[in-house]
Amino acid sequence: MIKSNSFTVEINGQTYSADAGETVYEVAQRNGVEIPTLCHDPRLDPAGACRVCLVEVEGQRRLQPGCAWKVDADMKIQTESDRISRHRQVLYSMYMSDHRTDEEGGLPEETGNVNQLRELCATIDPIPLEKVEAPRAARPGDDNPYIEFDPELCILCARCTRYCDEVEAVNAITLAERGSETTIATAGQRSLIDTSCELCGGCIDTCPTGALIEKKAPKLMPLETKTTRTTCNFCGVGCQMDLHTHNNRLVKITSPAPGETLNDGNLCVKGRFAYDFVHHEDRLTEPLIRREDGQLHPATWDEAIKVASEGMNRVKAKYGSDALGFVSSSRCTIEENYLMQKLSRAAFGTNNIHQCAAT
Amino acid sequence: MLTHEAQRQRERILELLEHEGGVTEESVRRVHKETGVPEADIWGTGMFYTLINKPGRRVRICDGLTCQMAGADQLSADLEAKGLPCERVSCLAQCDRAPATLDEDLELVTYHGKETGVTPDDPGLPMNLGGPVDESYSSFARAKELGAEAVIEILKESGLQGRGGAGFPAHFKWSSVLAQAEAERYVICNADEGEPGTFKDREILLRQPTKMLEGLAIAAQAIGAKDIYIYIRGEFTNERRSLEKAIEIAKEKIAPIKIHVALGHGAYICGEETALIEALEGKRGMPRLKPPYPTEKGFRNKPTLMHNVETACCIPAIVDRGGEWFKKLGKTEAGSKLYCISGHVNRPGVYELPLGASLDELVDAAGGYEGNPQAFSPGGASSGFLPMTYRDLPLDYKNLADAGSMLGSAGVVVLNDSVDMAEAVKWQLIFFERESCGQCAPCRIGTRYLRRQVDQYVQLGDTAPLTYAEDVAWEMEEGSICGLGMVAAKPLESAQKHFPDAFKVR
Repeated sequence: MIKSNSFTVEINGQTYSADAGETVYEVAQRNGVEIPTLCHDPRLDPAGACRVCLVEVEGQRRLQPGCAWKVDADMKIQTESDRISRHRQVLYSMYMSDHRTDEEGGLPEETGNVNQLRELCATIDPIPLEKVEAPRAARPGDDNPYIEFDPELCILCARCTRYCDEVEAVNAITLAERGSETTIATAGQRSLIDTSCELCGGCIDTCPTGALIEKKAPKLMPLETKTTRTTCNFCGVGCQMDLHTHNNRLVKITSPAPGETLNDGNLCVKGRFAYDFVHHEDRLTEPLIRREDGQLHPATWDEAIKVASEGMNRVKAKYGSDALGFVSSSRCTIEENYLMQKLSRAAFGTNNIHQCAAT
Repeated sequence: MLTHEAQRQRERILELLEHEGGVTEESVRRVHKETGVPEADIWGTGMFYTLINKPGRRVRICDGLTCQMAGADQLSADLEAKGLPCERVSCLAQCDRAPATLDEDLELVTYHGKETGVTPDDPGLPMNLGGPVDESYSSFARAKELGAEAVIEILKESGLQGRGGAGFPAHFKWSSVLAQAEAERYVICNADEGEPGTFKDREILLRQPTKMLEGLAIAAQAIGAKDIYIYIRGEFTNERRSLEKAIEIAKEKIAPIKIHVALGHGAYICGEETALIEALEGKRGMPRLKPPYPTEKGFRNKPTLMHNVETACCIPAIVDRGGEWFKKLGKTEAGSKLYCISGHVNRPGVYELPLGASLDELVDAAGGYEGNPQAFSPGGASSGFLPMTYRDLPLDYKNLADAGSMLGSAGVVVLNDSVDMAEAVKWQLIFFERESCGQCAPCRIGTRYLRRQVDQYVQLGDTAPLTYAEDVAWEMEEGSICGLGMVAAKPLESAQKHFPDAFKVR
C-alpha cells in the first residue's frame, strides 16, 4: 500500500493537515500553535539541542523535540501539559543558572540584541538555582573589527557554528571543548580575521541570546530606534536590509528575518558592517564641479552632467571616440551595466567599455 | 552534505591528530592541509577528546568510584610530590586494580594491586574467560551453512540481550538491518568500555578476542556486511595488542569480510552508539537524535549493526550449541553474564555467572566481602546505589529496573561502611560532569549543578544546597538527548532515597 503524502495530525486536540516530511514544529507554526524554541533556524538542519521545544507525542515515553520530530498520519501531539510546564520551568531556570542575569535571580541580561531566553524566562516562575559558573572560554585577543562573542550569554545552541557551516560553508567557528567547558571557538582561538571567516555577521543574526553582537553597535540599544527597510546598494543582488536609526543616526544594520526577503536572512560583510560612510564628514552629499579657480564648487545634478558630457564630447572631437573609455561598477545592477555599455557604444561610439568585476 | 571523498578525509582527522601528538595550532594546520577538512572543524573535534586535547606527557590516574575508595587522591599527591605530573581521568576500566594508573605511554601501572580473578576454565560456559582459545572459526563455518534466517532464529531462541547496558534483544537489530533496502551495511563492535566499575570487555579482549571476532563475523555474514569496525578505547594498550594478534588469524578465516580497528581518543560518551558513530566519522562525539536508529542510518548513514564486545562474544557458542541451551544458562533471564566486581571485596575480577545471580553469590565468587558492606552499585555509575537489603535481588535487567536501578554493564561495586555515601555520590557526579558531551542543556548544566551542590553539602554539612536537586534531576531525565544525561542524577537520587542519613545536616 502506498502511504498518502498528505494526512491529518492532532495538536492539542485540534486536527490539522500535514505533509509527510514536515516536523511537528512546522505544522504547529503554520497553524498558529506556538512552540517555543531557541536552537531552531529554518535555514539549518534541526539540532534538537536546546530542548526548549519538547512536546508530548502519543505513544512516545519520552518528550520529543518538535523541531526534529517528523509528523505521521494521525499522530497526536500535546504542546501544553503539566509535564511540559514543569519541563519549561526547570529547563529555563537551569539556563538562568548558566547565564548572566540582570541581578542575582533576575532575568537573562539583554545587550545589543534581543535575548529570546529572557523572553522565555519571563513566562515562568523561575526556581532560584545557584549559578553554575561554567568555565566557557572567550576569545579575548580577537581583534576583528565587527563581531564580539560573550560566553556569559551563550547557550551553546550551535546556531552560529551550524550557520557558518551549513549556510555560508565557511566553517570559521566551531564548538570546542566538552561538557560545561563547551564554547564557541576558532582554530587555535585565533582572531576571526586570521581564519576563513568572511565577517558576514550571519552568526550574530542567528544568535538567539545576544551572545554574538556587533562590536560597533551600542551595547545597550536605545529603546527608541526606528527601523527602515531598504535595498543594499553595495552590489546588484538586491539584498534587503533594515537600518536601525536613533536620533537620525544609523546605529546598526540587520537582515530581515529568514524567509521574508530574497536574501533569506543573510547579508555580507559590506551590507551588514560597512555603513561608517553614512555619517562620515568626508562623505559627498551633492555633485561638485572643479571650476577654473581650481576649487570644487557645489552644483546641481543637471549642471554636473552637462559639464561631464561637454568634457567627453570635447575629447571625442579632438582625439576620436576611442580616446574615451568607460568603466562600470560592480555595485551596479545588470540593467545599469547594460545602459553603461549602451552609453559607451551608441552615444559615444566606442567599444572601450569595461566592468570592474569582469577581470 | 559532504561528498564521499570529503567524508573519508574527515574520518581520518582524529587518527592524524594523534600521530601529531595532539591538538596544537600547527598540527591542526597540517591535518587541514592533508585532508582539506576546515581548520575549525579539526580543532573543535580534537578538543573534544581528552587523549589528544592537551599535548604533553603525563601520568593518568583514575578517579572513578573504586579507585577513589582505594586511595587515588593520595597516590596522585604522592606522585606529584615525586615530580611526576599527573592528570586525573575518568574510569580506566581497571577497577580490579584500583587505584588504576597509566604511565606516559598509556601502559598500565599497578601500585596497590589486590589479588584479582576470573571464573576458572569451564567448557560449559559460553564465554569461558579462563578456558582455552579456539581459533578454528568452526562456528562461523556452521553459521554460513545455516544461513542468515536460521542464525537469527537461533539468536531469537537464545533470548540474548545486548550486553552493552540497554538489554535490548539482539536479534531485533539483525532483522532490522536485514530489512533495509540499502545494501551497503556495517557491523560495529563497541569496545569503548568506560562505565565506572566495568572491565569485562577488557577481559574478553585480553583472553578471548577470537570469540568476539567470530561473533562479529557471524553477524557480518548474516546481515551482508563487508566491513567490521571495532571501536576500542584508546587507553586499552594491552587489549589492543591482544586484539590485533587475534585479527591476524581472523583475517584469513573470515575473508572477504574485513576488520578495521578504530581507536577511541578519550570520551566516555562515545560508548553511546550514535556518539560512537560520530567519532568514527571524525566528528565530536555528540549523540544523534533518534530516530533514525543506527540499524536504519548508522555509520556513513548506512544500516549498521552495533554490538557490545560481550554480546558478540556470546554468539559463537549460541550458534554451536543452540538458543535453548544458552537460554537455560540463565537464572532469571537468558544466558550467562560477565559480572565485574570491585570495591570492598577480597578478590575483585570478572565472573561469568547465570544471569540473575545475586550480589551475595557474586561476592562469593570474588572471595567474600571486605569489611562491613553498606551499599553497592549494581551496574556502573549510571545505576546509582542500592542498600544491602537488596543483596539477594537477582541482578538482571528487569529486577534491577523495577528496583529503580539498572543492570547496565554489570559493573558491580561494593562499598563498606568506611565510605561516606555523600562523598561516593560526589565522585560519581564528577564523572558525569566531566563526561557530559555538552550538547544539550539539561545534561550540560545539570551535571555541573548537581556536582557543585553536593560538593557544597560535603564541605559545609548544610542541606540547603540540595533544595532544588530533585527538580534538576527530574529535568535531566526528562529533557536530555541521550542516556548519559537521563541517568546522571541517579547516584544522588538513589543515595538520598536509600541512605537518607548520609544527607542530613551535619
